[in-house]
Amino acid sequence: MTISLRPPARAPRAGRPAGGLGRQVLGMAFVTPYVLFLVAVFAYPLGFAVYMSFHDYFFTAPGAVVDRPFVGLANYTAVLSDPAVRQSFGNIVVLLVINVPLTVALSLLLATALNAAIRFRTFFRAGYYLPYVTASVAVVGVWRFLFNSGGLVNSALGPLAPDPTWLVNEHLAMPTIALFVTWKGLGFYILLYLAALQNIPKELYESASVDGAGRWRAFWSVTVPGVRPATVLVVLLATVTGANLFTEPYLLTGGGGPDGASASPVLLMYQRGIEQGNPDVASAIGVILVCGVLLIAFVQRRLLEKR
Amino acid sequence: MKHLSVTAALAAIVMTAAAACGGGTSTNPDTAPARGPITIWYSNNPDEVAWGKQMVEAWNAGHPNEKVTGQEIPAGKTSEEVIAASITAGNAPCLIYNTAPAAIPRFQKQGGLVALDDFDGAKAYLEDRTGGRAGQYRSPDGKYYQIPWKSNPVMIFYNKKVFDKAGLDTKNPPLATYDQFRAAARKVVAAKAADYAIWPSPGSEFFQPWFDFYPLFAAETGGTQLVKDGKAQFTSPEGERVAAFWKSLYDEKLAAKETFNGDSFADGKAAMAIVGPWAIAVYKGKVDWGVAPVPTSTGKSPAETHTFSDAKNVAMFSACKNRGTAWDLLKFSTTKEQDGKLLEMTGQMPMRSGLSAAYPEYFGQHKEYETFAGQAERTVEVPNLANSIEIWQTFRDAYSKSVIFGKQDPKAALGEAATKIDGLAAGS
Amino acid sequence: MAVNTTRPASSRTASVGDARPRKETGGSRSRAAVRYGVLLIGAFVFLFPFYYMLIGSLQAEPDSSPSGAFPAPGNLTVANYSEIDRAIDLVQSLINSGIFTGGVILCTVVFGLLAGYALAQLEFRGRGVLFNTMLLVQVVPFQLLTVPLYVLIVRDYGLADNHLGMILPYAINSTAVFIFRQYFLQLPRELFDAARIDGAGELTILVRVAVPLVKPALLTAVLLTFIGPWNEFLWPFLITKQADMQPLAVSLANYMSNVAARAANPYGAILAGACVLAAPAVALFLIFQRRFVSSNLGSSVKG
Repeated sequence: MTISLRPPARAPRAGRPAGGLGRQVLGMAFVTPYVLFLVAVFAYPLGFAVYMSFHDYFFTAPGAVVDRPFVGLANYTAVLSDPAVRQSFGNIVVLLVINVPLTVALSLLLATALNAAIRFRTFFRAGYYLPYVTASVAVVGVWRFLFNSGGLVNSALGPLAPDPTWLVNEHLAMPTIALFVTWKGLGFYILLYLAALQNIPKELYESASVDGAGRWRAFWSVTVPGVRPATVLVVLLATVTGANLFTEPYLLTGGGGPDGASASPVLLMYQRGIEQGNPDVASAIGVILVCGVLLIAFVQRRLLEKR
Repeated sequence: MKHLSVTAALAAIVMTAAAACGGGTSTNPDTAPARGPITIWYSNNPDEVAWGKQMVEAWNAGHPNEKVTGQEIPAGKTSEEVIAASITAGNAPCLIYNTAPAAIPRFQKQGGLVALDDFDGAKAYLEDRTGGRAGQYRSPDGKYYQIPWKSNPVMIFYNKKVFDKAGLDTKNPPLATYDQFRAAARKVVAAKAADYAIWPSPGSEFFQPWFDFYPLFAAETGGTQLVKDGKAQFTSPEGERVAAFWKSLYDEKLAAKETFNGDSFADGKAAMAIVGPWAIAVYKGKVDWGVAPVPTSTGKSPAETHTFSDAKNVAMFSACKNRGTAWDLLKFSTTKEQDGKLLEMTGQMPMRSGLSAAYPEYFGQHKEYETFAGQAERTVEVPNLANSIEIWQTFRDAYSKSVIFGKQDPKAALGEAATKIDGLAAGS
Repeated sequence: MAVNTTRPASSRTASVGDARPRKETGGSRSRAAVRYGVLLIGAFVFLFPFYYMLIGSLQAEPDSSPSGAFPAPGNLTVANYSEIDRAIDLVQSLINSGIFTGGVILCTVVFGLLAGYALAQLEFRGRGVLFNTMLLVQVVPFQLLTVPLYVLIVRDYGLADNHLGMILPYAINSTAVFIFRQYFLQLPRELFDAARIDGAGELTILVRVAVPLVKPALLTAVLLTFIGPWNEFLWPFLITKQADMQPLAVSLANYMSNVAARAANPYGAILAGACVLAAPAVALFLIFQRRFVSSNLGSSVKG
């Protein structure tokens, strides 16, 4: 595991009267159901997936006797030398580069505005949250309507409209999907920031004001550091959900089109593993993806929590 | 060891008990397949559910000790996911009346299927029922793991109103040759009668070729499958002609490269569509349509034109215990009577030779289905090969890149795909 | 309990803009205008597709041209909705969805809160490992686990055709645990120390002190947890083929892919299906947000 837990700054100091062994036991008791859950539901399938990635494996009916030899890294080399797989990882990088900063900036901006504006607050909050609850099947149709060649966006752009149009343009398909992902998830991240903003002590703003800081300065010196745990959360979650992109290329661009320009690793996993019945290759893609995301998450956490 | 012997002893007791209970009814308990209650799955589209329910009811009325339970599974492509997962978990039903021929090789590889040849007279039964086409459904090991059940031979639907607006003959539209088809398509678009002449889905899903390239390929070659004798066939001159034809439609913007929301044909956005007879019920009252065989370069007569079958079959799964009942039900559900009900209730074509002659009354009353019954005699299936889905995905990726999006020369792209597919067909 | 709650109360109710006791000036009014401007543009961008979905679901004839975004009086109908009502047993589907989603939320809130609190505020052996595992769970795509998980639950646990089997893989949402941990971490340490000195047990501190302070986060986590099972259709279908056990998302997915094509306006029928699926989610959100958030607002808005 790459992500290590730094001694939590706010954790209670050890050696307090109430602390010690009792709390140790208590902590374990508190997490026991969750640990049992992870063991019962998560550990076995994950271990199994890793196992498959090192074998020539396919799923069989119980009782069927087949040879599933250990193949070492063969699945990995096959996957890494596959241009389609490499392209899909490249696509995900494009997605993350657009999606993560945009998500953080827009959700913090809108949450700050929302936290202050009192009137119609319910309306706004519910509005931002709507795309998040709505099933993709439905919103995908709406986005196609907006972004197809005769759609609203192109009508508004007039002569500036791209040709071929957004979702069938190999350079624009992924950025359009990135916008879609940002749009669909933003409501949730706004709620995360709203929850965090309510925990910033008011005194901090008062003292910033006494120091003569303007609103913009106060935003940078009080709000941004105040919501840092939430920012870590938002960045990590946006990265993870972005890296696990599946529904959008599956539904919005008809299976990663045009010509694989919007294919994602999870889409390929689905095609290879579930459609074509090669779970070994799919698992290799999955393991590479998981390692890559953990690495990114580790770097992000380092950068964000150090300051 | 101790444990084993206990188990063996228990098994012996159970078997004795079973034999005792069986009494005199079963003549040869060692070889006769077991009988008893079974579960079957059918597709959840409303027509097929109705057919399935009446079939199960009819069976249950006459077989109180071999009760059949029917359940629904998704009709679309999640169907294969659901089936593959249940094979692995060992809870697949006895029969599935929604098995895609393209998925058979994979289910077979999983050890999930029962070879039907094991049942007395099964081979003769299904070859007799389906005729010469049955051979396409035999697996590479020479056995049948599916019974050809029903097809939806795809043809060209055209919108009469749109054709009229474009100044085209609506009775005998000029769609037989590629040149005629292209000329008609240009007229439709030039007259702004519809946005596009035809709008097959440009998506990258592995099954999309079945509704653009493959029917035309089947027609052009006179019934050749995508892969024959372990070699990809689509690099032949016929294959090149089909690819060039589609490319010209995309290049001239007569066919759309974008995915449409909903049904482009029903909404009047496209003048034509490649669909099977199931769509007749869907287009009823929405579009005034006519039907023509898929085009060929030379304009073959309708009676000589082949097309893609879009079949769904019935397979028996290895998790099934009461296989005797399952096989009886399989025969019961594919009798002339039940096939007739299927035709009546769903409008899909039972894979029975001499279809129009078998149900003269139905086709007399439903003229619109008769063309399809004729076409149903000349259908081409997907090749029954290991790695079937991977082969189709490889083909689709190359086709999408070259023919639809024009990023590569079709000849080069399809040539590369053919090499890869030859390797996949060989089982590597 | 003699825990001093005044400080956190004031801290949680503070909000960025109106926190400072300032008089309304021209500057702040223009800032408010900017703020509302930003919010309105945002709201438009977010609501338009939803609005379009609603309009589309009410159209008798599909209209995919830009003018279709405006209601045309002659083209409005509720036929798309009545067709769904005819095709689907809405009540039974809703009950099944309720059991599935409710079970998941209950497990997540009870066990997830305990785990999140322990991860943030308690020290125990293996905490680092658990935290990392929790992160790992979120990083792993579900598609990697589907089939082994299915085999495990059906074959080893024998939970096919069972609501428990449906709930189990979703039972404790790790993202929610992560959220709980992150917000418990943000609470001032002095608060807990004070409570502990007063002799309060950890469970009491969690329920009486910590949870009330992270209510907004609780809401967020509940919503997050809600969405997964609510919109999921593949997993319930794998677990049971019995139509009377299947949740709304499955019935509607079935409706959209099979029945809708025959409707007078297939696209409208699909959009109507999506609206039906979204409506309870939106309604629940509106109810929840009143209970969880606006009660806090009362003290922050001093008039």
